[in-house]
Amino acid sequence: MDIFLQQTINGLTVGGIYALIALGYTMVYGVLRLINFAHGDLSVLGAYVGLVVLSSGAGGGTTLLVVLAFVAAVVVVGLAGAALEFTAYRPLRKADRLAAVVSALGASLLIENGIMLIWGPQLRVFPQGLLPSGAWEAAGTRIDLLQVLIIGGSALLMALLYLFVHHTRFGTAMRAAAIDQDAARLMGINVNRVITSVFVIGPALGAIGGLFIGLYYRQVYFTMGWTYGLNAFIAAILGGIGNIPGAMLGGVLLGLVNAYAAGFVSSSWQGAITFALLIAILLVRPTGLLGERVAEKV
Amino acid sequence: MNGTHDMGAAVPGPAAGAAAAPRRRWTRPAIAGALLWLAGLGVPLVLDQTWVFIAALFAVYAVVALSQDIVLGRAGMFDMGHAVYFGIGAYVTAILNLQFGWPILATWPVAVITATLLGAVLAAPIVRLRGDYLLVATIGFNAIFVLALNNNVGGVTGGGDGLFGVGAPSLFGWGLASQSAMFYLNWLAFAFTLWLIHNLERSHLGRTLHYLKLDQLAAGTLGVNAGRYRVLAFALGAALAGFAGTLFATLMSAVSPGAFVFTESVTLFAIVLVGGQGSIPGVLLGTVLMFVVPQVFRGFAEYRYFVFGIAMMVIMVLRPQGIWPRGKGSAP
Repeated sequence: MDIFLQQTINGLTVGGIYALIALGYTMVYGVLRLINFAHGDLSVLGAYVGLVVLSSGAGGGTTLLVVLAFVAAVVVVGLAGAALEFTAYRPLRKADRLAAVVSALGASLLIENGIMLIWGPQLRVFPQGLLPSGAWEAAGTRIDLLQVLIIGGSALLMALLYLFVHHTRFGTAMRAAAIDQDAARLMGINVNRVITSVFVIGPALGAIGGLFIGLYYRQVYFTMGWTYGLNAFIAAILGGIGNIPGAMLGGVLLGLVNAYAAGFVSSSWQGAITFALLIAILLVRPTGLLGERVAEKV
Repeated sequence: MNGTHDMGAAVPGPAAGAAAAPRRRWTRPAIAGALLWLAGLGVPLVLDQTWVFIAALFAVYAVVALSQDIVLGRAGMFDMGHAVYFGIGAYVTAILNLQFGWPILATWPVAVITATLLGAVLAAPIVRLRGDYLLVATIGFNAIFVLALNNNVGGVTGGGDGLFGVGAPSLFGWGLASQSAMFYLNWLAFAFTLWLIHNLERSHLGRTLHYLKLDQLAAGTLGVNAGRYRVLAFALGAALAGFAGTLFATLMSAVSPGAFVFTESVTLFAIVLVGGQGSIPGVLLGTVLMFVVPQVFRGFAEYRYFVFGIAMMVIMVLRPQGIWPRGKGSAP
């Protein structure tokens, strides 16, 4: 029972991170029907940018430093996302869908190896003692301050995003563009602006996720984007890609499954369990848990 | 096979060169290709060992890339886990040779059959999934395959280090261990593959896959059983990839999980799209770009993938159909 509770907390922490990154995949897919393979690497870029700020010692107090790191990561990665959309995806919007997929894979290689060229191929360690250490223990289960921050922070960001998408004018425009771009354009929606904003918001959330990863595991490496990106992508598919609450549910679910697999089965088979679950769900419900059951368009 | 009854025969294609009315077997590109292949036979005579090895490796990867093209470019299924079939062929040969002492040539049929069956079994449940979902499922297969290799399933895969010391093939007691002999073996296999694909293009099967890719509904109304043909395309692609795998295991005399990871599948996927779907010269050009160029620029290893990434983006933006797309009129 202790292990169960402990793994639930660990799973929720990792799941929150997955969910944050999954949102970027799902938002882009929702509007463009494109798997943005570079998204995982953009998230990792956020972790590296945050690390630069954290190791610079700017801003005086450590808590302020952490806040600055998040701001820098969000700004840099948000801009990078917009730049990526402009250079790699916009020219391909009318082309065969697979051309954009390869462009995305190229962008992923570019960012991943760009990180390696700037910060080196070796593992980078995050500084310790940035946040006041605190932990609560009960019934043999331990939750520390960072975990609370990650779970709370991701939940808060997801709630804000949900409110933004469902209760603001711009959010309505986003949903309209996701359903039918041409119709949205006829209603006077600037679809290009919607797409650009999706490529800013998604990577920005991903950057926060990436920085959470860095803080939580205290280390980053340049190929990390594939590992975490793939997991977050699976989370998006599990929940139903293109569906924002689905990405949240998928992320948390995947985090929990991963944690239980590591705790009760074996960590060397963890990835296989994740993928087996994914394939099983795809076969039973191809559009994911919360995805709509749409009839095949002909 | 039955090229004279071709529907597309009346449509002169730019790829077919002049507007000759009946489609001939030896089109100009086919002749040019055959001449290039013959010229390739001279590689061991004029170039040094490094280049002979690179040419042999090119032949192996060309076979895998062409097999990926059957599934992706010709049948239109987004298979991003093709390294699985390449890997299973390589591992079957390595395991039978090292753990059970089989001669290399005897492992060939087993490797190809295992890969074919695996291709069919894995494809059967997923061929009805829509494009992107199929892509995700195949990524999953690749991940599970690599984990199984790493975890040393059945105690025969050698875990993360893989297996070393795969023997050289011998024919009638005549060893083919030298670099040049290995090259000629792979070069012949390459020719066999080209011949196979060339025939597939003109065959009933190739035509069916092509129209299935263009319009599944229309093909269905004409009585094409989409699911069965898709599984068949997967099985055929897997068989060829498995064949390339056994060649790879012999050429490298070692196998390890690292050669069959998801990134390799991504590279194969990119080769087909960068080169041109369903286009033999395109896929071969893609193979040169993605596998041979990196071998040449080993000195710049650090910048290699960085430049690669940029190249992939630039090529797709400038030529979304690939560098050398299949000619418009050259539908099978």
